[in-house]
Amino acid sequence: MNAPLPKRIWQWFTRTRVGRSIFRIGLPESNLERSQVMVSSFLLHVQPAKVNRHSLRASYSLGLGLISLYLFLILIVTGVLLMFYYVPSTEKAYDIMKDLQYVVSAGLVIRNMHRWAAHLMVLFVLLHMCRVFYTGAYKRPREFNWVLGVGLFLLTLGLSFTGYLLPWDQLAFWAITVGTNIAGYAPIIGPKLKYLLLGGNVVGQEALTRFYALHVIVLPAVAFFMVAIHLWRVRKDGGLSRPDEPGDIVQQVELKQLPTNKTYGLMELARGTTPQVGKNPEDEVFSWPHLVFRELLLFLLVTAVVLFLAIFWNAPLEELANPIHPPNPAKAPWYFLGLQELVSYSAFWGGVVVPGLLVAALMLLPYLDRQRQGVGRWFARERVVANTIFTVCLVTAIVLTIIGTSFRGPNWGWVVPWEQPPAITEGH
Amino acid sequence: MNDLSVRKFYGWFTALGLLVGVLVVIGYYRDEYREWKNYQHKFIQEEIRRASTPQQRALAEQTPVQIRQILLPDLNRVDRCTTCHLAVEDPSYGGYPQPLAYHPLHEQHPFERFGCTICHRGQGRATTTTDAHGNVPHWDQPMLPLQYIQASCGQCHEAADNPAAPELARGQQVFEDSGCRGCHKLGGAGGVLGPELDRVGARRSPEWLKKHFLAPASVTPSSAMPPQKFSETNLESIILFMLSQTGESAPGYYASMRVIPSASEGQRMFQQKGCIGCHSIGDQGGKVGPALDDVGLRRPPEWMMQHFRDPQTVTPGTVMPRFGFTETEARALTDFLVHLRDQKVALSLPSLMSPVERGREIFRKYGCAGCHGADAKGGVPNPNAKTAEQVPGLIYVADGYTKDELKMRILKGQREIPALDAKRPPPPLFMAAWAGIIKDSELDDLVAYLFSLKPKEENPGF
Repeated sequence: MNAPLPKRIWQWFTRTRVGRSIFRIGLPESNLERSQVMVSSFLLHVQPAKVNRHSLRASYSLGLGLISLYLFLILIVTGVLLMFYYVPSTEKAYDIMKDLQYVVSAGLVIRNMHRWAAHLMVLFVLLHMCRVFYTGAYKRPREFNWVLGVGLFLLTLGLSFTGYLLPWDQLAFWAITVGTNIAGYAPIIGPKLKYLLLGGNVVGQEALTRFYALHVIVLPAVAFFMVAIHLWRVRKDGGLSRPDEPGDIVQQVELKQLPTNKTYGLMELARGTTPQVGKNPEDEVFSWPHLVFRELLLFLLVTAVVLFLAIFWNAPLEELANPIHPPNPAKAPWYFLGLQELVSYSAFWGGVVVPGLLVAALMLLPYLDRQRQGVGRWFARERVVANTIFTVCLVTAIVLTIIGTSFRGPNWGWVVPWEQPPAITEGH
Repeated sequence: MNDLSVRKFYGWFTALGLLVGVLVVIGYYRDEYREWKNYQHKFIQEEIRRASTPQQRALAEQTPVQIRQILLPDLNRVDRCTTCHLAVEDPSYGGYPQPLAYHPLHEQHPFERFGCTICHRGQGRATTTTDAHGNVPHWDQPMLPLQYIQASCGQCHEAADNPAAPELARGQQVFEDSGCRGCHKLGGAGGVLGPELDRVGARRSPEWLKKHFLAPASVTPSSAMPPQKFSETNLESIILFMLSQTGESAPGYYASMRVIPSASEGQRMFQQKGCIGCHSIGDQGGKVGPALDDVGLRRPPEWMMQHFRDPQTVTPGTVMPRFGFTETEARALTDFLVHLRDQKVALSLPSLMSPVERGREIFRKYGCAGCHGADAKGGVPNPNAKTAEQVPGLIYVADGYTKDELKMRILKGQREIPALDAKRPPPPLFMAAWAGIIKDSELDDLVAYLFSLKPKEENPGF
């Protein structure tokens, strides 16, 4: 046998007594084992034994959801490592950042990984949402998974935002001050919400304690379970969306009025769309290795990119937080700068109405757009109206974010980034 | 996608696996190779070279390569400077190039109590040269240039009585003489036209301060402060004094070490603690206790020390109470009394001075000279002011005002200064309202002083 060495070692190990006790199926050799390995492994069984070829096309999904998941996993691992050192105290947090950089082995690179992975996750979750929109993948029966996805996007922003405060430097302090001020513009509940978030009227120890608790346990736990449900629903809603193809067996099993005085096997209870949908044998390949290997390769790629960024670029760390010296301008985290730009025109309209309507529209989207055509293809002609509206909103958001990031200087005045900014006059 | 197509994955796995592996190795190398290890190896080699016995050699070889740090919880600092500056306490390294040089004169401030950055500034937690020396973005405490190092003494010690910091004392002298307090508050005393200076040394660099004194508008465009004409030495001195004002307040042990015992400190204490109520010097003071002019001839210093600790132990039955002086305070008072033995000292007690003398002190204390000129003779430019584009002198106030009018003028100030030319910007300097800052008794004395300024030989026809 001419298998590569790692494979031979693995084969030998899974045949030993210990190996067999751990891995119920060794390296699969037959199609039967390829199915068995998927259904008998805890980590793999959320995925089907066989998968549609269309789902494997990188040009269709771009792997964006998986990339987001991997970034989330990297964030959990590096986050736990950071927790070994971090103390959520206004007295100590900043010094600990310095210690991570100067004395803790690999401390800086782990903090960098956490920071860059967090930014990337915001970006990739957004891109994932765009992909799902442009391929019409939120339509029936995947409506609720889209809603979960919007929830996960908001959670991602929340995770990033709560983590932003923890280094307790000027960047953190003023970004959170600006961000929570925006939250305070909401009518009636705004000031209460701000007070609840900060544990007071200004950013201080109470805010740090709350943000820490939210960041390391509340939001990750919620996100973790929502990710699990999100993935489960992908499977239950029939895998990745794809265009209807001739030969697909569309199997919509309606729940019958079943007599209640009898017990049923699982197969009798199943209803709605199931992995059975699209069960055209020629379109399907075994998940092992075709899906699993691709997923592993993508994981390696994501890890490599995050490592590369973390090794060569340091996460920002400014001066110790100083409540009496605001930078001019004080800016929110980059993903809220579009919002801050809107707020600079009108606190109420920009800070409450527009983002509120946007989130509501996203949540309700699959129930508003009931057209069934154009699923499973990028930029389907049938969806030109929806795609145009979405693109306009997206481009507006991007332009506003770029303006807020690069074109706003002291007193939120207009600056051109490639020109020397005017000297900031210091108060005498 | 038959099974053979699996083979193409192997290449990808190898390539990406190698990429991750290489990145991990690079990351590990960058983490493991740290600048300070180089210096520690050099130090150990030097120690091995110097070893004269096998035991010393073995000891040197066993020196661990590790971060060294001084933990200073009371000062809220961790100083890792000694990670590279390994020989600061070893005099045999005198004259070595940095970072292995010996640090002379540290006996008064042992490193384990004070660390390094409390005097030298910089970033104590950092372990690379650039970051530790602090001239990096987002660190506002770069190392203090050595020429200004005496500024650090002034963070804790009174400038005037620190014999080791003459530059600092000069700086304070320049500050008080130049009338800076007329506009700036320092330690709670001074005017309100300019910003307070209590933390200026922590916020501003020497370069900024220099520009500021020579041309205030060049660093603060809206500044009303007139450019200062300091001599080169005075300029350096006042920069140094400004750098000493960091607002640093060291607690506990450090606070107890602030007082440097000296005759002048002893004199200040003698005046403050009210010793004069019972004792006299140069016929000034009470008669309950003995006169102290020649006590230094009669008593040895040890006796006086014990006397300050507990008078009863050396003079049973004395009426002098036990004041609970600290050792440093007792030492300062003793030094003062010993000093009296050799030299006549005139106490400058306000209660012993005339109102005019006290008024002169108050004129100085509040920096009136900053605008009204030395001895209130005027001459400080105030562009576009009707009064010859200058702040007026005050020597003729007795002709124009009654004492009460003058007091009101000082208390209320004058925000609007009449302009020479309405089209030009209004005069930058104006008279601040001193109500709430100056005390009533001080105001009486100040007015007495200002009235005394009127020249005596006046032409009757004028």
